[in-house]
Amino acid sequence: MRTRFLIVDDSELVRKSLRTVLQANPDWEICGEAADGETALKLFRELHPNVVILDFQMPGINGIETARRMSEVAPAVPIVLFTQHASPDLERHAREAGVRSVVSKTNAFPMVGMIEALLGPAESEPAAEGSADSGKGHAG
Amino acid sequence: MREQEKVNILMVDDQPGKLLTYEAILNELGENLIKARSGKEALDHLLRTDIAVVLMDVSMPELDGFQLADMIRQHPRFQKIAIIFISAVHLTDLDRLNAYQRGAVDYISVPVVPELLRAKVRVFADLHRKTQQLETLNRDLRSLSARLLAMQDEERRRIARDLHDSIGPLIAALSMNNGMLAQQTKKLGPDVADVLQQNNQLVEQLSKDIRTISHLLHPPLLDEIGLLPAIKMFAEGFAERSSVKVDVELSPEIGRLPPHVEISVFRVVQECLTNVYRHSGSKTASIKIAPSQDKQLTVQVRDEGKGMPRTNGVPSSPGSNHGVGLRGMRERLRELGGTLEIKSSENGTTVIAAVPVTKPMVKNI
Ligand SMILES: Nc1ncnc2c1ncn2[C@@H]1O[C@H](COP(=O)(O)OP(=O)(O)OP(=O)(O)O)[C@@H](O)[C@H]1O
Ligand SMILES: [Mg+2]
Repeated sequence: MRTRFLIVDDSELVRKSLRTVLQANPDWEICGEAADGETALKLFRELHPNVVILDFQMPGINGIETARRMSEVAPAVPIVLFTQHASPDLERHAREAGVRSVVSKTNAFPMVGMIEALLGPAESEPAAEGSADSGKGHAG
Repeated sequence: MREQEKVNILMVDDQPGKLLTYEAILNELGENLIKARSGKEALDHLLRTDIAVVLMDVSMPELDGFQLADMIRQHPRFQKIAIIFISAVHLTDLDRLNAYQRGAVDYISVPVVPELLRAKVRVFADLHRKTQQLETLNRDLRSLSARLLAMQDEERRRIARDLHDSIGPLIAALSMNNGMLAQQTKKLGPDVADVLQQNNQLVEQLSKDIRTISHLLHPPLLDEIGLLPAIKMFAEGFAERSSVKVDVELSPEIGRLPPHVEISVFRVVQECLTNVYRHSGSKTASIKIAPSQDKQLTVQVRDEGKGMPRTNGVPSSPGSNHGVGLRGMRERLRELGGTLEIKSSENGTTVIAAVPVTKPMVKNI
């Protein structure tokens, strides 16, 4: 079972790069894309992604608010906030809203490793047993 | 017809004949003449219309001229109205006249010399008109500068957002692509890997520079998560760029405030820190934001620098320099109904802004 990503960013350019980066891993796939928070929430409910990559500044509700609403629906799904404005304060707010980690857009290199760490060791190996609800194991 | 606006002149006398005489004398001034037969009637007019000059007989039944003047002066709105008494000269009257400390007062004795009365009324009428013009002009200028400040904020916000939306994604994409390449360094020759490494550094520098520009233009966290994180982030960046050590103390219970209050307070802090860096020579600065009383916030920025310029020990007047910083702060605060206080000595400068807020700011003081 591949890990399914929902990517949310109002820039097509950023989504494209994210696709390239994430799809380099054969076990990862992009199940949906959204350019704003509201659409992201809708897709989040419909598609049940395993991981969400979320922009912070978007038209309409921002990434932190989107994360808050997502974690009300499914708190176990890891959310990565992908932002140009990474700062300790933003990170604290983001974590309070249920974001699992914050990655700076200007230094996106650590993202892949961070996601691997979030998914845990079981996830980076080809799944032996059914992990349909792969998020569950990482709650809390 | 004169171009300038007419002002109202109130004539008070219990004798209709005298009122007609004054009217005849003052007609050629071209102002609005209003007649009142008693002190009560006069007060009535004063409450309803904006009066420039009151011309009154000292001796009237019921309410005499001095009593009426006392009543007029008690009312804060009327303290600046010019009063001209008309009376036969009594020494006691002159003494009483001298007792009037506030507002313009003049005296004319009977028999009234028409030219003299006209001249005196004209002076006060012109004064009133000029004062009114100045007040209007002041109001206009004030609202213009408030509008300009708001436009400047808006413009800066827009440019910062454009930077974020157009260049931000480009840098993010570049950074991610470089990241992808970096994972393949084994496949690249050492020279190519080196160039890639340099590219990475360039992207990082580019992003840092743009980040600084954009943060100075408009704090990115202000709209999204609020004033306090935005100030903290700004203070950190400022400390890094200026090597001034900044101590930040913010009461967390302040929470979110209306957007125009948040941006104004942020700009006040920003201007103050800029001044600390440019003028004070101080190596430290402290920012303190806390509720000072119910529905009021105090913003304090302090340095340990050389203080504001003084001439012979006296602080130079704020109007004597062409800086926009402090004056802009003052205007912003006036617009919010707040105040700005500056304490400066050779041991440093403290700028204290008091900002009224609508939500209760009760704190366990
Ligand atoms: N913290 C400070 N320490 C010492 N002097 C100060 C300080 N803040 C302001 N001043 C003095 O007060 C003057 C007025 O400051 P203001 O911010 O209004 O203008 P400016 O900084 O000169 O110009 P601008 O802010 O428009 O770029 C300054 O020129 C400086 O002489
Ligand atoms: Mg200044």
